[in-house]
Amino acid sequence: MSRSSYLGDDTIALHSGYQPESDHGSRAVPIYQTTSYVFDSVDDASALFNVERGGHIYSRITNPTIAVLEQRLAALEGGSGAICTASGMSALFVTFFSLCSAGDHIVSAAQIYGSTVTLLKHTLKRFDIDCTFVAINDAEALENAIQDNTKLVFCESIGNPGLEASDLPMISSIAHQHGIPLVVDATFATPYLCKPIQHGADVVVHSVTKWIGGHGVAVGGAVIDGGNFDWLASGRFPTLTEPYAPFHGMNFWEEFGPSALAMRIRCESMRDIGAAMSPQNAFLLLQGIETLNLRMQQHVENAKSLITWLQEQDAVAWVNHPDLDHNPSQAVAAALFPKGAGSMLSFGVNGGREAGAAFIDALQLSSNLANVGDSRTLVLHPGSTTHSRLNEDELAAAGISGDLIRVSVGIESIKDIKSDFANGLRAAAKTAEKLAQQG
Amino acid sequence: MYIEVNGQQTFVATGGKTFDARLPTVVLLHGSGLDHRCWALQARWFAFHGFSVFAPDLPGHSLSQGEALTSIEAMGAWLVDALDAAGIEQVHLMGHSQGFLMALEAAPILGDRLLSMMALATAAAIPVNPALIDTAKQNTSKAADMMLQWGFGSNHQYGISAVPGMQPIGIGQRIMANNPLAVDLQACNQYQAGNERAQALRCPVHLVLAKQDRMTPVREGLKLAKLLGISPTVIPNTGHMLPIEAPKESLQTMKSFIQTLN
Repeated sequence: MSRSSYLGDDTIALHSGYQPESDHGSRAVPIYQTTSYVFDSVDDASALFNVERGGHIYSRITNPTIAVLEQRLAALEGGSGAICTASGMSALFVTFFSLCSAGDHIVSAAQIYGSTVTLLKHTLKRFDIDCTFVAINDAEALENAIQDNTKLVFCESIGNPGLEASDLPMISSIAHQHGIPLVVDATFATPYLCKPIQHGADVVVHSVTKWIGGHGVAVGGAVIDGGNFDWLASGRFPTLTEPYAPFHGMNFWEEFGPSALAMRIRCESMRDIGAAMSPQNAFLLLQGIETLNLRMQQHVENAKSLITWLQEQDAVAWVNHPDLDHNPSQAVAAALFPKGAGSMLSFGVNGGREAGAAFIDALQLSSNLANVGDSRTLVLHPGSTTHSRLNEDELAAAGISGDLIRVSVGIESIKDIKSDFANGLRAAAKTAEKLAQQG
Repeated sequence: MYIEVNGQQTFVATGGKTFDARLPTVVLLHGSGLDHRCWALQARWFAFHGFSVFAPDLPGHSLSQGEALTSIEAMGAWLVDALDAAGIEQVHLMGHSQGFLMALEAAPILGDRLLSMMALATAAAIPVNPALIDTAKQNTSKAADMMLQWGFGSNHQYGISAVPGMQPIGIGQRIMANNPLAVDLQACNQYQAGNERAQALRCPVHLVLAKQDRMTPVREGLKLAKLLGISPTVIPNTGHMLPIEAPKESLQTMKSFIQTLN
């Protein structure tokens, strides 16, 4: 098993990456709200710039508060290192940007976040990086989609919002047979529910805005380098295995091995693109990560209870969650997410999209907004919002029907969530009745 | 760079600069199961400050071909072959743990070619628990975990890193789990000639010890220092993985030592 800490997850979440003997004994991680760092001498500055020693130069590239979060995330996921970014989308971008160049190709799951589809299908296309979307658990389709110029396979551990659990051992096995890495967006699961590196993933990406932060107060992203992929043996990654001119011909694989990708992202993407997390956000996200395990237990428990309750309601047409028997990935979810496959669920009400809109508009406790993973319960109609830029075929491939309501189940008292949903379902039923009368 | 040593392709890290045999050469020797990357930062400093760096992966380790060498004596002889293959005349040898034992064995063969020697987190003998060797024979990854849990000091067990964002335990685990750790550990365990070789050294020597070292405890390092008649540098809050845990502090000692020689 690939590890990077011998502490338990609960301890890692509270302590990893920071010890209080410096920083005036501050028990909490201090916020280094500074752009830059005084050098000991000209030689010291030179050594830092030339990667002759570790340390901080400028907060676009590294910052002590952010470094604590990075090291904590790397420890939780069992990676060799991590880079935090301004958002989950920038984490994805710097990962793709560091592994791919013009003329390259990506194979991606079709069931993924709408903005990620846009990035892969349109934005990267402008840089001559193509993407083929496949049903990711279809081994034959995946195998057939991989080309000579494919640089990576991408999926979400639990697809958004189709809620299909990705068969990471199978997907990584096929990717590795072709000498390419598996990149997994593990936002919906967090390392509490599933550690993708243990199941064959090579790079893990998070929108830490969501459950890891958990309180809806800070946007951020992270890339965790799994450290297991042999970039040299693959022969497909000149960005990691050939000299990099801006750093005097640095060869990241030769010099840093298991942390080659993380170091490349640090040295190139953070410097040239500058999608840096703010120290204040890193501090807020660290407050969240400290209670990640406790919150995830409550998220999962509430989700299970709400699913059972929804299935009993007459106004509900269908319910979807990876743990449910009719979900096509139920067996995968049971194997990879033994504590439960997260707190995202989707459902439809009788009466379709209009009744669904009535449901959402009638809610009071739950919030209608474009986010997931808040400690509060959130609802959204993806077809009108996050995935509204997809055409009908793309929506179908992503598993999004017109009546789909996405729910991110919070950690409020479950009786209050059910009461709120009951109000919504009454409104939905009235709308459905009107629609039926109109014929 | 890659060189051929005894018919095998051997990787030698040069600190990010082209190797120049005309410059004073610093040879950096890794410990059991590790590779040149444990010197990543120190190697770059020497390479960009007037030295040539020669940091090989031992045969069968990481980027080097071949079968792992089964004795410290064979490693010492191999090192001299590698230096000859690269056309290097005089050297400063710096070894971490097993790397120092290997340097001790190379020393009598090198003779006057050896300008100085530095030992980091080591002793004249490195006995290894047979249970660890047996584990390494059966499951290298598990043995690597045992060594890293034992080998890194307390700060690193709490995820502290000299390089922002990185997890040295994770990096070490990936390297060790894929290298012939059992062979290295067995070679260390069998080596008996350390005291004799150390007493015979005629070049300047310095010793850097790690206060929290549980693999080659400080008391053993102090015995070696007494034998050599030197006052060692002891770095606090650091375990056996000294070059990785405290690259800045270890480099400071390494460069101070080598600069005093000039």
